[in-house]
Amino acid sequence: MTRTSAPGVRVKDLTVVYKTPAGELPALGGVSLSLAPGTITGIVGESGSGKSTLALSLLNAVQPPGRIKEGSVEIDGLGNVVELTGEELRRARGRQVGYVFQAAQNSLNPLKTVGKQLLDLGRSHDFDDLPALLKDARALLGRMGLDGGRVLDSYQHELSGGMRQRVGIMFALVLNAHLVVLDEPTTALDMITQAAILKIVRDVHHERGLTTLIITHDMGVAAEVTDSLAVMYGGRVVEHGPTTEVLGSPRHPYTKGLIRAIPRLSGDIDEARALPGRPPTLGTIPKQGCVFRERCPMRIAVCDTVDPEPVTRDARTVACHAVGRPATPIVPKEYV
Amino acid sequence: MITASGITKTYKQRGNMLGARAVPALRGVDFTIEKGGAVTFIGESGCGKTTLGRIVAGLETYDSGDIVIDGTPMSSLKPRHRQPFFRRIQLIHQDPYSALNPTRTIHQTLAAPLALRAKQTGRGKAWMEERARELLALVGIDPGYVLPRYPHQLSGGMRQRVVIARALTVDPEVLVADESVSMIDVSLRLGVLALLKDLRERLDVSVLFITHDIATARYIGGDGELYVIYRGQVVESGPTERVISGPVHPYTQSLLSAIPVLHGVERPGPERVVPTEALNEAHSDTGCLFARRCPFRTDRCEAELPALVSDGEQAHACLHPQRRNVIPVEAVA
Ligand SMILES: Nc1ncnc2c1ncn2[C@@H]1O[C@H](COP(=O)(O)OP(=O)(O)OP(=O)(O)O)[C@@H](O)[C@H]1O
Ligand SMILES: Nc1ncnc2c1ncn2[C@@H]1O[C@H](COP(=O)(O)OP(=O)(O)OP(=O)(O)O)[C@@H](O)[C@H]1O
Ligand code: SF4
Ligand code: SF4
Ligand SMILES: [Mg+2]
Ligand SMILES: [Mg+2]
Repeated sequence: MTRTSAPGVRVKDLTVVYKTPAGELPALGGVSLSLAPGTITGIVGESGSGKSTLALSLLNAVQPPGRIKEGSVEIDGLGNVVELTGEELRRARGRQVGYVFQAAQNSLNPLKTVGKQLLDLGRSHDFDDLPALLKDARALLGRMGLDGGRVLDSYQHELSGGMRQRVGIMFALVLNAHLVVLDEPTTALDMITQAAILKIVRDVHHERGLTTLIITHDMGVAAEVTDSLAVMYGGRVVEHGPTTEVLGSPRHPYTKGLIRAIPRLSGDIDEARALPGRPPTLGTIPKQGCVFRERCPMRIAVCDTVDPEPVTRDARTVACHAVGRPATPIVPKEYV
Repeated sequence: MITASGITKTYKQRGNMLGARAVPALRGVDFTIEKGGAVTFIGESGCGKTTLGRIVAGLETYDSGDIVIDGTPMSSLKPRHRQPFFRRIQLIHQDPYSALNPTRTIHQTLAAPLALRAKQTGRGKAWMEERARELLALVGIDPGYVLPRYPHQLSGGMRQRVVIARALTVDPEVLVADESVSMIDVSLRLGVLALLKDLRERLDVSVLFITHDIATARYIGGDGELYVIYRGQVVESGPTERVISGPVHPYTQSLLSAIPVLHGVERPGPERVVPTEALNEAHSDTGCLFARRCPFRTDRCEAELPALVSDGEQAHACLHPQRRNVIPVEAVA
């Protein structure tokens, strides 16, 4: 069964671990996040924060040495995908959840033309009308500024990085899935091409009534296309809310730091400030207390011992001890 | 000081049945890099920025034109006598992940060029060790931590700093940074940009910065010069801040308009320009190279090649130049 309307998605208490020489370590530490039907949600955060791991979890596609340890991912019309297996799962991917994985520019089969791979995909999902599928693909590629016919006849090595990236987006959209997950869809592109692709993503989203998730390390990309923005750090969603509000009045110290680090076109450029320190890796994510505390200018005593729970007020969810308790004045005790 | 004049470069691509296809990468480019100055090249993918950077660093040949380094025209020298001039111009690779040899520790990576330098200047092993530490400290990383490690044990930002330290081993006068920050995280990116800016100030090194992201150009070289390149031609140039706040060429305006707007913090510029179609190398070479994509073209644009005209500071190659307000403005809270 194929849905004809945008599904909602509810991720609940999701923990994903990777097996390492030091044992199984969590890349996602109990993440909860809802995607409202029909919206575009963005996930931003530095390298290693768990963005791709979360995207893969929506398709129950975390590969060994990783595994989903706890939690659920409910998708309207599909149920809890964490419990899907085998054939059910295979059919859901592509047909109901369209996706572009990170580094899609390297994920095409080098031995087959793009068109051949498209036909394989169509057959594996029992499409009867393959010519119509090819026609849709050509139209999508055309909208992205490519010569669809030529691209379908090309092998991977005959396409530039930016062209391959657009081919990946075509694959995510061509089967008409109503939930679309795009992991770093524009990283290999220059600004003008990026702007054109983002416009197409937004247009197709509205035309078809999709629920879309875009993962990016570029705050500008998220700002340009998303309705709702989630900020990840150390395997947690530390802030989530309507995009313009999160950008205009960030509450979590990490979100504030990320926004301040963006060099802008107008205003005093020297106001751009680097975020001190580096993001944690699997092995260095603190096991207790707030994961951001080593880099946080607002750190207080409780941050060292208690991992802050996400608290939601006025459509904004923030996980920070120093935020959301206006009744008690906060006196930062130590700076790092 | 480096002056380039009329640089052209055409690649011969082995085509399919039709035989070799000529790809004009540069069509007569002029620019000047002052000592301690900052020069930025921006433009879409495939416009010739990397080619130009490699030519300046002596890593690529060119077909015509000349490069004059501190008064000496390279055309007056035999290729092997150009070497010492080009050694003062160091290219920083755009991808910190592939720029370092994965089988060598950072110590080994720095030792090779330092040994050469020691030989040239008649210094010994102790100097090399000391200099390696000094350079790593200069680029803001802990020598004790980094020296014994392999590249894969370092973060992207650290690797990029090692790449810069390696470029500094030969005491260059110019660093050519080709997209050197686009591969690394925002938080680290600003740190590397700050380092380049700092090297300009402290060592009087000039920086030639090649990027898609114009806002970063303001950060290291707001006081420098900006060159906007389109299909191998400079279409607009001038002081960086002036061109960004008052672009007159529709292509510059398109590039600036394409930068994502931070909704919630900024509002889009009121006169944003969007090209009417995508870049296509096969577009006509007669008349204005941007004509096919320009929303403001007239019949004249398709027949006449606009020359680069300057008002003394800002130059543009457009038959209908007009200042437009395209960059985002601060949203009032
Ligand atoms: N196959 C794997 N084996 C071990 N650890 C892994 C594996 N894949 C990811 N990780 C670790 O899990 C954490 C989260 O990785 P993930 O790829 O989800 O981050 P990300 O936010 O997508 O980062 P990026 O911006 O670099 O793509 C990181 O610390 C990463 O090193
Ligand atoms: N070795 C080569 N052989 C053939 N053509 C080449 C070669 N190197 C570059 N070109 C062509 O020359 C033109 C300019 O390329 P260049 O790499 O200088 O662009 P760029 O502005 O640096 O692009 P990007 O932003 O994608 O790095 C392009 O059309 C490219 O395909
Ligand atoms: S919980 Fe504490 S350390 Fe963590 S972000 Fe908030 S103030 Fe900073
Ligand atoms: S010369 Fe004409 S076509 Fe070219 S940029 Fe100017 S207005 Fe546009
Ligand atoms: Mg990722
Ligand atoms: Mg390049």
